[in-house]
Amino acid sequence: MVKVDNLVKNYGDFHLEVSLEIPDGTVTGIVGKNGAGKSTTIKSILGLISPDQGSITINGKEASQLTGTDKASIGVALSDSGFSQYLRVEDVTCILKKLYPTFDETFFRDNCKAQGLPFNKKISEFSTGMKAKLRVLVAMSHRASLLIMDEPTAGLDVEARNDILDLLRGYLLEDEKRSILITSHISSDLEGICDDIYLIHNGKVILHEETDAVLSNYALLKMDEQAYSRLDKSYILKEKKDSFGYSCFTNEKQFYAENYPDIVIENGNIDDLILMMTGGN
Amino acid sequence: MRGLIEKDIRLTLIRKQTIVVFIAMALFMGVSMNGSFVVAYLTMLAMMIAIGTLSYDELDNGYAFLMTLPIDKKTYVKEKYLFTLGVSVIAWCIGAVLFCIVRVVQGNGGTAFAELPELMAIIPAMYMSGCILIPLQLKYGAEKSRIALFIIFGLIAVIIFGSTTLLSSMNIPVEGISASLDSISTAVVIPVLCALCIAAAFVSYLISTKIMNKKEF
Repeated sequence: MVKVDNLVKNYGDFHLEVSLEIPDGTVTGIVGKNGAGKSTTIKSILGLISPDQGSITINGKEASQLTGTDKASIGVALSDSGFSQYLRVEDVTCILKKLYPTFDETFFRDNCKAQGLPFNKKISEFSTGMKAKLRVLVAMSHRASLLIMDEPTAGLDVEARNDILDLLRGYLLEDEKRSILITSHISSDLEGICDDIYLIHNGKVILHEETDAVLSNYALLKMDEQAYSRLDKSYILKEKKDSFGYSCFTNEKQFYAENYPDIVIENGNIDDLILMMTGGN
Repeated sequence: MRGLIEKDIRLTLIRKQTIVVFIAMALFMGVSMNGSFVVAYLTMLAMMIAIGTLSYDELDNGYAFLMTLPIDKKTYVKEKYLFTLGVSVIAWCIGAVLFCIVRVVQGNGGTAFAELPELMAIIPAMYMSGCILIPLQLKYGAEKSRIALFIIFGLIAVIIFGSTTLLSSMNIPVEGISASLDSISTAVVIPVLCALCIAAAFVSYLISTKIMNKKEF
């Protein structure tokens, strides 16, 4: 279990202040616009940056005090960092074998082959998708109980994204106690894999909700000005005026479906969540 | 630690063509220059290559990922010092073998073996410059550390020149001091150099650890 308690980090004008929890056996997603604080949160959890205040514990131990053995139970894939691109997958295999006592060479080699990653080619010669797949496979290769993935699908085409998500799903199926913390800009990726979602905006968690609840209870209501004026706004989280009238975001879809049959109700998704909750009025 | 050493060996072997060229050049120098320069030359190059692995680690924001591996910052720093020492010793051995082969071929085998203990002073002497380079590279990165190194060596040159001039102006015979230093036996010089090297490495390691602990990725 990962617990982030009142984490504070300041970078000039940017102020991050978040609290979150990742229970064992769950997949938690962090969403938000660029610069919202997603990567800073991930880096703080990994001890790559020191928080100004607050505490981060992983399985009850302070993140800054994690030993090599503790870190061996965490698999990490960062969006902008990995093994030197001058190395080959063959080199990476030998390095991982010496770094992790639990390194599963057969799993790693089989999956690299299945994903079409050549063993004797420099990583620098890989496509963006191949590099991303390698980063994810490296993170999964030592049977970690916690995977931390920062934008693992960024910049990839649909097929490569699905391959990575399938790898993660397969990984979760092998052991129900495994947890994943994942950030992504692509909401459909998170909708398909996450149990719960944290929405970060301007360094603050502005919403924490189960993914199923987002998909079943949240909705985007669209109406003209007349319908808007008679709308009960008790369950409206955010509203936005556009050229067609009003768009309102609610977490009580059923209430509006039953009481306002004449307005357009679109099922909510994480994209709407980000757009409405971090923009609008 | 074993994983980091494996990584650095593999990063070093990326430059195997360069290493082969260096050894060929060393062999050529060994034959043509008829001296022990080849040993110092190879040791210095090997040390530079070993410290060069820091540049590979730094490239493309590599430190961030490396620090998520099952190692801590202290282990990372320790490995760099050990790897640099190991590579320097291996290069010294290769240089010494080349030196001896050249001398034996030239019919002076006996003198080569007699010179070897003296040549051992190269390792601590070279490693001490490595002890300056490692923290510089950790602090300033590959590019800026070169400028910092030039400044440091410039300062050392100024200090040596200044103190020589000062001693001469005070009518203290600098040549005499130099001659008496030269006359100190190898049996004394090497342990003193080793002791200085260990002290320098320890201080350098503490500085490097402090630099790494302050770093954010």
